[in-house]
Amino acid sequence: MEGASTRGVLCHLSLLEVQARSRGSQVPQQPSRVKELKAKVEALTSQRDQLKAELQIHKKLQKLRAPVDKRREDGEDEEMDVDSESSELFHLMARHSELTDLLHAHNLIGGYDAITTNGGKGMCFSLATEYEGAYLDTYKLELNLKPKVRISRHNIPPFIPLNSLAEQSDLQTDVRAFLATVSQHLNAFAGRKQQLKLVKEQHKSIEVMESNLLCSILVLMFTVPKDKTPLLCTLEYTDHTRCLPTRVHLNCQDKLVPDSPNWKKNCSLLKEVPVHRALTAIKKASNIV
Amino acid sequence: MDNLAKHLLQRLMRRIPASMLQSTLDKWGRLTAEKRKSLDFTQSKLTITQELVALCEESELTVKHITELEMIYVTENPNQGMWHTFQLLDPEDDAHSVELMQFKEQFKSHLSELKRNVSVKIKKHTDEAVWIRVAWGDGLSRPNHLKATYVVHYLQTPYVFVNALSSKNKPLLLQALTLSTKHQQIKAANLSGQKLTALRDLLMRQYQQVFPTKYPSPLPESDQSISKLRIEKVQAEASANRHRMAGETFGDGMLPALQSAFFQLETKFKDPTNEAMTQRDEPFICSVKFSSSNLLESLRHCASSGIASTPVTPLLSSIPLKGRNYFVITNNVPNA
Repeated sequence: MEGASTRGVLCHLSLLEVQARSRGSQVPQQPSRVKELKAKVEALTSQRDQLKAELQIHKKLQKLRAPVDKRREDGEDEEMDVDSESSELFHLMARHSELTDLLHAHNLIGGYDAITTNGGKGMCFSLATEYEGAYLDTYKLELNLKPKVRISRHNIPPFIPLNSLAEQSDLQTDVRAFLATVSQHLNAFAGRKQQLKLVKEQHKSIEVMESNLLCSILVLMFTVPKDKTPLLCTLEYTDHTRCLPTRVHLNCQDKLVPDSPNWKKNCSLLKEVPVHRALTAIKKASNIV
Repeated sequence: MDNLAKHLLQRLMRRIPASMLQSTLDKWGRLTAEKRKSLDFTQSKLTITQELVALCEESELTVKHITELEMIYVTENPNQGMWHTFQLLDPEDDAHSVELMQFKEQFKSHLSELKRNVSVKIKKHTDEAVWIRVAWGDGLSRPNHLKATYVVHYLQTPYVFVNALSSKNKPLLLQALTLSTKHQQIKAANLSGQKLTALRDLLMRQYQQVFPTKYPSPLPESDQSISKLRIEKVQAEASANRHRMAGETFGDGMLPALQSAFFQLETKFKDPTNEAMTQRDEPFICSVKFSSSNLLESLRHCASSGIASTPVTPLLSSIPLKGRNYFVITNNVPNA
């Protein structure tokens, strides 16, 4: 035990000796350390200058983005102390950042978003769909811009007639109209699909006899409470840009049922209100089980 | 039960694997629960078949019922045989509102107009696919139920998948399909394979495609070992780029299990060291076939690991992009 502690102390002493010696030898290392630090200072200075320049440009752009009237009012135009060439560049840059922000805002409120791809030769649009305040699927559509505007890749299902929609609005001149139509079709489809899902979830007593991928037709089987007669209801969504049916048709063995005033009311309800909610109302009125 | 029905049932029983027998028979529902319980599925297939034939005879089942059973089996196990894809073109104005009843009536009536003695069965599957079974006869003979053609179509999409169609009956079937879906033309889509689910998923875009986004992708987890860190540091960017391009070309996650791709080359021979061949005027005709248990995953791996150069050549990227796996390549217009 005594030996160990003695060894320990001696070890410690020799360690301290080595440290003192190495600290001594560090003195000639200081110039190289100084060089290192000087280089770091330079790098940081140039970074600071770069940031300052960027800040200046940003300030100028902000000024340019102010509405033209305000500029005239404040008489800031005279303060633009740049030559015509770079002022044009600044104007373009201001416009670019304005449009980028607009696009971002458009995306935030549920519209489509876009980015350029392939070094500016293409664009990729992100079309979100929503129904009753809930975001559903997002679809992507890539366009090639050179030499002509053409649809390249996308993940839009084939029952949305993308090619015929592209033919209807001239892709070369009016991409916005095309995108608006596609977005309309997709949102309507997402809405109809969501309604079908809700019908299946909320109304288990109602049998879905027929539907299709596009959700443009829905055949439901109701049971009339009085004598348990089955009532077949066909909802046709012929306008693919809408979530509500254009035609509601009833079929029943008892011919009197579809013609009754109650059911005539229900038919028009089904045309005005999304199907899952209409069914809840019809059930409440005890028209169906 | 006539001989044909018996023969058909026996043939069908040979096709259905033992593990699926019980569930398929349950779905069929033509035998009462009592009768089904009496079958001992631990016996050999041959014995089960004999017992089943006896039960069907007792229940007086006919060819019609047996074809139902066949259709149930094929619908639940579609990844057999060879499926060919066709594409409907030039839809008429009301093509988008064709609904099931209408399609069924129209198809049956058009086909029987074109050929007498055909037996058609149409059934809608839970995933909205319309399955059609056609047994072909002609003016003289009864429909041949042993070699039935199967067709799968999703209404409001342009694609039709066909299995076991002879060249004799092809124009008739295609015409009936075109008319009943209210289109004006139909053409071969150059996509074929054994797995119907793969062909369908590829064309209906039911897989995870990757598109460029403006948000940077999450950083990959760093490895602990130092030597790997050094390699990764140098290769990281190149590797990340390859992975990204491979993903954008083929997709993410599980890809549709396409099993082959066929390239028919009719291009001029190009090899500076082989003058004899290069001097020839005619194109050099050769065909290249790629096979794999999952071709798209193999190609994606080739691209991400660097075996295939990135950006991926259009020859390979056309497979998922255009949804085809048969290409004819000439010097003028590579696979249009």
